[in-house]
Amino acid sequence: MRRHWLWLPVLLAFVVIYPLVLSTPFQQRLGALVLLYAIAASAWNIVGGYAGQVSVGHVVFFGCGAYAAMGAYAHFALSPLVGIPAGILASLAVSAVVGVPTLRLSGHYFSMATIAVAELVRLIVTNTAYLGAAVGLSGPTVPRNVFDISFISALPYYYLFLTVLLITLGITWWMANSRMGFYLRAIRDSERAARSLGAPASRIKLYAYMLSAALTSVAGALYAMMFGFVDPESGLGILISVKILIMAALGGAGLLFGPLVGAAILVPLEEISNNLLGGKGAGLTFVVYGAIIVLIARFQPGGILTLINRIWMERSGKRPNGEAVRGAAHAP
Amino acid sequence: MKFKRILGLLCAASIFLVATGSAWSQEKTVKIGAVFPLSGNAATAGAHTKAAIEVAMDIINNAHPEFGNFPLAKNAGLAGLGGAKVEVVFGDNQGSPATGQNQTLRLITEDKVVAITGAYQSGVTLTASAVAEKYGIPFVNGESVAANLTERGFKWFFRVTPIASDIARIYYEFLTDMKASGVKTDSIAIIHDTTEYGVSVANVVTSAFKEKGQPIALDIPYAINATDVQGQVLQLKEKKPDVAIMIAYTPDAILYQKTMQALDYKPPMIIADDSGYSDPSFIKAVGKISQGVFNRSSWSVGPAGSPTALIAEMYKKKTGDDMDDTTGRAMQAFFVLCDAIDRAGSTDPAKIQAALRATDLKPDQLMMGYKGVKFDEKGQNILASGLIIQLQDGESYVAVWPKAGAAKTPILPYKGW
Amino acid sequence: MSLTLLQVIAGGLLLGAVYALFSSGLTLVWGMMNIVNFAHGDFVMLGMYVAFVVYTLFGAGPWLGAPLAVLVLATLGVVVYFGLIRGIMKGPMLAQILGTFGLALLLRYSVFWWFGANFLSLPENLVGGTFDFLGLRIQASRLLAGTVALLVTLGLHFLLTRTSLGSKMLAVAEDSTAAQLMGIRPDTMQAIAWAIAAGATGLAGALIATFFYIVPTVGETLAIVAFVTVSLGGFGSVPGALVAGLLIGVIESLSAYLIGAVYKDMVVYTLFLGFLWFRPQGLMGKT
Repeated sequence: MRRHWLWLPVLLAFVVIYPLVLSTPFQQRLGALVLLYAIAASAWNIVGGYAGQVSVGHVVFFGCGAYAAMGAYAHFALSPLVGIPAGILASLAVSAVVGVPTLRLSGHYFSMATIAVAELVRLIVTNTAYLGAAVGLSGPTVPRNVFDISFISALPYYYLFLTVLLITLGITWWMANSRMGFYLRAIRDSERAARSLGAPASRIKLYAYMLSAALTSVAGALYAMMFGFVDPESGLGILISVKILIMAALGGAGLLFGPLVGAAILVPLEEISNNLLGGKGAGLTFVVYGAIIVLIARFQPGGILTLINRIWMERSGKRPNGEAVRGAAHAP
Repeated sequence: MKFKRILGLLCAASIFLVATGSAWSQEKTVKIGAVFPLSGNAATAGAHTKAAIEVAMDIINNAHPEFGNFPLAKNAGLAGLGGAKVEVVFGDNQGSPATGQNQTLRLITEDKVVAITGAYQSGVTLTASAVAEKYGIPFVNGESVAANLTERGFKWFFRVTPIASDIARIYYEFLTDMKASGVKTDSIAIIHDTTEYGVSVANVVTSAFKEKGQPIALDIPYAINATDVQGQVLQLKEKKPDVAIMIAYTPDAILYQKTMQALDYKPPMIIADDSGYSDPSFIKAVGKISQGVFNRSSWSVGPAGSPTALIAEMYKKKTGDDMDDTTGRAMQAFFVLCDAIDRAGSTDPAKIQAALRATDLKPDQLMMGYKGVKFDEKGQNILASGLIIQLQDGESYVAVWPKAGAAKTPILPYKGW
Repeated sequence: MSLTLLQVIAGGLLLGAVYALFSSGLTLVWGMMNIVNFAHGDFVMLGMYVAFVVYTLFGAGPWLGAPLAVLVLATLGVVVYFGLIRGIMKGPMLAQILGTFGLALLLRYSVFWWFGANFLSLPENLVGGTFDFLGLRIQASRLLAGTVALLVTLGLHFLLTRTSLGSKMLAVAEDSTAAQLMGIRPDTMQAIAWAIAAGATGLAGALIATFFYIVPTVGETLAIVAFVTVSLGGFGSVPGALVAGLLIGVIESLSAYLIGAVYKDMVVYTLFLGFLWFRPQGLMGKT
């Protein structure tokens, strides 16, 4: 297990120096994108992985943050950074309103309800002129000062996102090891049993949902700052939450670093296959992308990180449940 | 393990991309980036545009004396750069503003293109051109009509196509002419989707008509990619407008025509706002039941042997489809860009920008029916114009207005099927 | 009631029947095997393309296109079951979403690669055009699709409740270990269920192709309707999907005509959410 922990500082060091080593603008931007999606996926992980509530409509919180950031600039000439606290407030409100009635729905119905909510919000925003309707809201194209977060280079975005990701992971780790995390695990395994033992299931699930929503809205705000633009499709489209969900699932839902692994695989995969194949126009990008996802789902449904963990466990001579493997001393 | 393998692939690919990028720029080619929707819902437009640009590359890079004085056709390559060939690197924007931005960035920083053209949907053009502006790379757009694109104070963005306000003017003048010849055009209905395109065109047309004293009688917005449009068609059937202006992308356009036939509804006049109704897929699918539909266009095949007719032939040979207005406009923008590079005599973006600013193309140097190409300080082509075409036989559009240059006279009322 | 309003309702019922038609396959696998199939819309799309190919090659309408679509899709269903679904069925919902989403992309863009991006269409009068009925305009193609929807619903319901195959399938869905002890092979039953569901979906696609446009991305548009229909009807209930589909179709049509097309989807989603509040298991789902 000692070797397991060595990977953490190595990973951290790599992540910190990545954009300085692989430093073309495209590579830096790719790195920033990976971190951005990792933030969103890690935020989702709180409610989808740890609490086991598969929210497919999580994009509505992403949109809260994105629209708050762009709205702060477009309507009030404030820095888009104002969108972070504003988006958090909005997403807390929305998640409270949505969470109370929907969290009591069972599995698939909950997921469908989140889809309906997200689509409803998207349709409303598409028809609301104040929120830019179909045109969307734009941020600063020529930055007035550093607080407009509008940079040519991807480097500042990279480190900003890295900081937020570390905070997000920190919050997740703290939550997972707190009493709330303990309750969530119990609820995820068997809600009925947990309730019968006195766990305030509804309240705990709601807190997880709200926490997840707030962090997702931060991701949305950061997205809008980097792209300088949000419209109903890019800020509230279902495809975004599906992508985030896929990243968390692919990497390993319910694991701290699962979403980061998932983002680190899927984002470059999509970008690079688009670069190599997209220009031909035959849609091969997506054939490759889809095929890889199918393979991973089929052969490693727990996510890539569970595979990595299992291999680590086997290497250090222990079975996943902690007991030692016989003859481990002679294992290769 | 997979993670490591993917990481390795990422590193290798990045290095490969960087290496090839720098190698290419040493040869005698001029690299231009083209960002279009090659997948997703607008893929049919993207695919047609790609084919058209490839035809344009052929015309520029090879000697085509049959084109006469059409710019860049006579010689092989760009004369102003010693015969250097033009090479286009395509990027798929997948119809998404974020992907459009990423692809534009990739083209600029990895492929080292000297200019960009694109991106079809106005929302994507918005973000893609923002990247080009930051990097000081000329971005020439030929087909996005949203007004805000030229209202950002950008110095590197140029738009060749007529925009919503030009379109509104064309419609107004056409309808006024029709009224003068006895056609009833009092109540007008606008049916439009709620995308950036649909809303901005509808808004501009509505305010332009209102200003001229003829407010729009009926406004019917709908959400894009509808599964059913019966409600909208029944509303029209009830209100009986004299003119129906349809602003729709291909799937909805097809659905509207099918539904109108199913419900036996024929408005006296239909004016379609390009896009969906111009798509060859539309004509193939429902052309026969949409006879008499008017459309706005700046494209007209022209007499046999003319450059436009030759282009139409080459395009048809390549794709099997007739050239449509949207594709033609994108192709025209590409020609304008190459002409500017030629005049600049250099691949220095600043020189290309200056050459674009100084563009002054005459109508006989264009493939589209514009009055010319001349950019104002916002980057908008102030000589962009269009004509009205009509799908008289259900198979191809013919120019019917203005009278000068019309191939046939308009047929009214709308025949349908 | 004005004629136009009747037309709206008639149109809504026909539309709803079509929704039910392409949702019945989805509810079958969702209820029986607890599989969330994100590739469902693309199965419909494949059915549409089969009908198109049949027409292009043989000039034949849905009389040939539909049975062939059923065959092709059922076969594909079996392949997909053994290749992917069996592996992810027991897994968490996330793995299912992951796998079927990847499958959706794979199917959609393979078709895109082969057929291109163009919008295709079958001729208007392939199934007989539009006729007048008591002053209402009814499209023969939609009427056919609607009738088949009813028949498919009845057929599937009959299959599940009255035949021994059906009871075996339900037994496996209820408790596959117990079923195994009774001599029923879960794998076979589930493969059959999946094949039937895929076949029904292919049938839906082939019929829809007679009046709707055909393009590789049409699955995206239709999938979300199917999901709402199935959840409203109750996962696993084929009659529920029919009722839900009809309801959604009529509400959509009425909203579009009375309030405005941009609001019709909002009305449907709002009512759907409101409904789930009072009856979380859908119209006819199990509690």
